Amino acid sequence: MKASSAKWRWLLVPVGLVASAALAAPAAPLNLPDFDALAAKATESVNISLDTSLLGLAAGFLDPSNPDDAATKELIAGLKGIYVRSYTFDGGFAYPSAQVDQVRKQLAAPGWQRLVQTNSTRDRTRVDIYVSVDRGLANGLAIIASEPRQFTIVNIVGSIDLAKLHRLEGKFGVPKLDLPPESRDGKPGK
Amino acid sequence: MSEGVENNQELERRLRSVLGAVDPGEGFAPRVMARVAAGAADTARPARAGAVASWLAFGLAASVVLAFLLAHEWQARRLEQGREARRQLIEALRVTDEKLDLAYRAVNTREGGAPPEHSGV
Amino acid sequence: MSGDEECARGDLLTQALAGERAAFAALVRRHQRSVYSMALRMLSDRHAAEDLAQEVFLQLFRNLSAVSSEAHLGFWLRKVTMHRAIDRLRRAPRLEGAAEELAAAVSEAEPADPLLERRLRALLRELPAAARAVVLLRYQEDLDPVEIARTLRMPLNTVKSHLRRSLAQLRERLDGTADALT
Repeated sequence: MKASSAKWRWLLVPVGLVASAALAAPAAPLNLPDFDALAAKATESVNISLDTSLLGLAAGFLDPSNPDDAATKELIAGLKGIYVRSYTFDGGFAYPSAQVDQVRKQLAAPGWQRLVQTNSTRDRTRVDIYVSVDRGLANGLAIIASEPRQFTIVNIVGSIDLAKLHRLEGKFGVPKLDLPPESRDGKPGK
Repeated sequence: MSEGVENNQELERRLRSVLGAVDPGEGFAPRVMARVAAGAADTARPARAGAVASWLAFGLAASVVLAFLLAHEWQARRLEQGREARRQLIEALRVTDEKLDLAYRAVNTREGGAPPEHSGV
Repeated sequence: MSGDEECARGDLLTQALAGERAAFAALVRRHQRSVYSMALRMLSDRHAAEDLAQEVFLQLFRNLSAVSSEAHLGFWLRKVTMHRAIDRLRRAPRLEGAAEELAAAVSEAEPADPLLERRLRALLRELPAAARAVVLLRYQEDLDPVEIARTLRMPLNTVKSHLRRSLAQLRERLDGTADALT
């Protein structure tokens, strides 16, 4: 594992994204708008909506004797839902401002805070990360990512341990993250 | 020591060599057939009752077979649904991690400025 | 292919269409190397490749009536495999290293220059999904550009462009590697 600067400290510290966050009541799922106009023009659309029962079904098909499956099962133990809308285009696309505004309005509600807002003019990439906090513990995550040829919204309901997600590096095609050693057990660094 | 690639023909030869077919290994066909058996709609007709004289007996046999087929069909569908849910879960985690990594890289380039422009479609 | 062989293949397809599972299983065995290899070269992951290959045959079973001949079967399998693989690649980052090395280890061809060929495999993985698909169909499946265009539903000029650019890129990077190795 590469040693690097504290990659996720700024994300982990403010809200204590740890395994014990499973104690917090989950945030309500975001009401994701239809992105029909985007889907019609996309070369590839990903539309995933896994609520509690589907997550349970998926977990039932994770083999506990397989270390990768077992790690995934542990990772999703605190999840109540995971929702992904992702659209890929051959060329540019019209940024769905109206729909994104609908999502941002929900993310302006009490409990949600924006952790990260990045704009890269060089890469024409913008990523916003929001987290929902209940009694000091994270119970939801939202990501809005716009790249030159892809637009993605992710909404996670419940708690997810970024350190555990990091431990799945290399498995199931999850790319490697860099976490400082003190964050590997899921506890936030200082 | 290795020679440099001199021309397209040499590269193409190497590509054909590198891209030789790979066998999925023993048991692949049986595994496929197992999924076929689990997922395919069973088109088996009700067991022949032979020279059954009674419509009632025939109906009863058909009911039993139908119940079995429905249970089998349900199980097969459940299997497919579970596999699909697992696949979607893994993809959702991949996308999540990919975008988190994207944010990290964007933050670390310390690039700010105007929101990205998107060309109209 | 001899007339008798073609006849036998046609019979197999006919039998499979008639619902004979053994015949379908024989079709799977006949085409599994091609389908699996395409999946493996695209996804660079043995498990994902097996999963995808199984799904392709499952889809074939469900849509067998749409296949009109042995030749059409080959076309159908390549088309479905590639489209599914490209779908997955566009959504998932590539796995690196281990699985592909394993595939190399079980490959039946003995590489004349293992270091260079390992590098070539790595460079192939770096090609974008569509370009990689074109290269695979050309050099693994031996299709000509017109057949590739039909398989991938891609304009012919785009296929030729992918081939040209991919070969140029591979050659340039391999030449650099070869120099470094000498």
